[in-house]
Formats: sequence, C-alpha cells, structure tokens
Amino acid sequence: MSVLKNIMSALRGGANEVGESIVDANAVRILEQEIRDAEIAISKAKGSLTKMKATEIQLKRDVSSLNIDISDYEQKTMQALSSGKEVLATEVAQKIAELEVDRDEKHSEQQALSAEIQKINTLIRSREKRIQKNKRELDKVKTIKELQRATESISTNVAATGSSDHRVSQALERVKKKQQNWQDQMEAGEWMDSENAGDSLDAKLAAEGIGEKSGGASAVLERLKAAQGA
Amino acid sequence: MDLDELAFQLNSYVGEEGTSFDAVLNEDGILEVICSNNDEFPIHMTTTHTQIIAVTRLFDISEVAQGSVNELDEMCLRLSPAIPLSSIGRQGSAYILFGAMALNTRFEVVAHELEVQAENTIDVLEAIEELLT
Repeated sequence: MSVLKNIMSALRGGANEVGESIVDANAVRILEQEIRDAEIAISKAKGSLTKMKATEIQLKRDVSSLNIDISDYEQKTMQALSSGKEVLATEVAQKIAELEVDRDEKHSEQQALSAEIQKINTLIRSREKRIQKNKRELDKVKTIKELQRATESISTNVAATGSSDHRVSQALERVKKKQQNWQDQMEAGEWMDSENAGDSLDAKLAAEGIGEKSGGASAVLERLKAAQGA
Repeated sequence: MDLDELAFQLNSYVGEEGTSFDAVLNEDGILEVICSNNDEFPIHMTTTHTQIIAVTRLFDISEVAQGSVNELDEMCLRLSPAIPLSSIGRQGSAYILFGAMALNTRFEVVAHELEVQAENTIDVLEAIEELLT
C-alpha cells in the first residue's frame, strides 16, 4: 500500500490528534530496512559485475589473439603445401584445429559471460529504480513526521503565549498597526525629503532674485512712515 | 543547507523588500523564524531527506466560529491555489500555511519564500477572519 493511501486510511480511522503517529512506525522501519538491504545487494552486485567484466575483457583478448595465431598458422600451412611439404602441413593443420577448439570454447564462454553481465546490469537498474521509489515513499512519511514536529513546536509556543477568543484578530490587528506605523514613517520620511528639496529650491530662487523678497528694515520704516502720514 | 547555517545567514540578512529575520534553533531541532513584516506568526522550519519545510500555524480548529468548519474548509481549498508559494493544510487540529523547497535551494530563494509566507499569513487570515471566533 502506498504511504499516502496508508495515511488516508489512518485519518479515516480517526487518527486526528497532533502528535499521534498516523504512519505505522513498523512500516517505516520495514521500508528503511528494504532500502538498506537493496543498497547493500546493489553494491555487492556492482562489485562482482566489475570482476565479471574484467574476465570478459580477458576472454575477448584471448579470442582475438587466438584468431591471429590461427591465421598465421593458416598462411604457414599454405606455404608448406605450396612447397610440397605435406607432412609438415598436416602437423600445422592439427595445431590449427587445436587452436580453433580453444578459441571456440573461449568465445562461447565470453558470450555467456556477456549475456550474464547484461542481465545483472538490467537487474541493478531495476533495483535502483525501486530504491528511488521507496526513498520517495519514505520521504512522504518523513514529511508527515516533520510537519507533526513543527506543529507541536508551534502549539507549545502558542500555549505559552495563551490562546484565547479573538487571538487571531488581535494578532492581526497588532501586525496591521505595526505595518501602518511603518508606512507612516515611510511617508513622513518622504514628506521630509520633499520639504527639504523645496527649501533648497526656494533658496536658489531667492539667490536669483526670483519670488517674494523681504525689503529689510528700510522697507519696514518706509511702511510705518507712510502709515503715520496717512 | 542545514538549519544551523540557515539561522546564521538569516540573522544577518535583509530581504529585497526590507524584511529582516530573527532565527532561533529550538531545542527540538526546529528552526523558529520571525520575519519583521509579520512578527505575530512565526514560521517553523525543518528538513527531510529531500525538502526544507516551512510551517506557519494559523489557528486551531477550536478557534473556528461554531458551525463554520465546513465553510472554512471549503474556503481554504478554494483559496489555496491562489496563494503564491504557500499552501493551506491541516496538521492534527491546527490549520497551517506551509511551503516546501528542495534541500539544495539557494539561500536568497529560501529567504524570499519566508518573506512571502509571512505576508501570505496576513492575507489568508484577513480573508477568513470572519469565520473565526
């Protein structure tokens, strides 16, 4: 049964409390053991595969060197025949026959080994796929377990800070207030910046004699005199 | 990245949107992260063989207004796909917001996920506030 289906049945069976193990601990151990066993088996198989491959390469080399020998002796037989040395040619032909037997034996041994290697390779690949699948299943279990742990850790803290009516609304209110304060500060900062920018602009304008100008003491005196005269 | 290293990096980091982080590794091995954009709802982090998991506890089922659990569950199922980077779920009696990342996720991406999850928490709770006590 897949882990998710396992969890579903546990939930339908009433497992609902935080911290309650809804995944059968035994099933987890079995899954972990299966993964470990398969990994050991694969590692052993890979080891023996290397040795088999070495033997196969050696056999291939033997076959090709025997083939070279055979063709060499064949040429020599032809030479003996063409020079009329029939007895010698027969002796060499016997040697060739022996070499051919040896070569054929080694060739069939090599082919059998090659087929065996192919089979083990396929087996390792399918075992590896299975391990990956089991690991993914195991990770689902671990995720559930870790979620439980994280939620339990949270519950403890919530209990410490108290859980009452309107807890969420009160917390939301506080967060929003802080965000508003932050927003206000940002806006205040922007306003100050623009004010400062404005001040410097006014100063520049005044320096150029543009805008409102204060006439100074003499202007005030003139104004007062005019008022007195009126 | 292990949780110790993550805590170390988070504590001296400021996100692109100005969010800073307070990260503490609890005794139980769970990393508690408080994001400056939402310091009321801490995020709890843990790992499995392949994932980093970030969990924010939203509320307990006992905090749902009487007779509203079914409507709330329906709302959560409908809202969940619309929430960027996080999903809503239930763990025991707690409703949670959670995000999962691959174990080899870059630090900046993890920090961004946390920033977004802290923001998502406010959005989700605002959306369903009226179904809570």
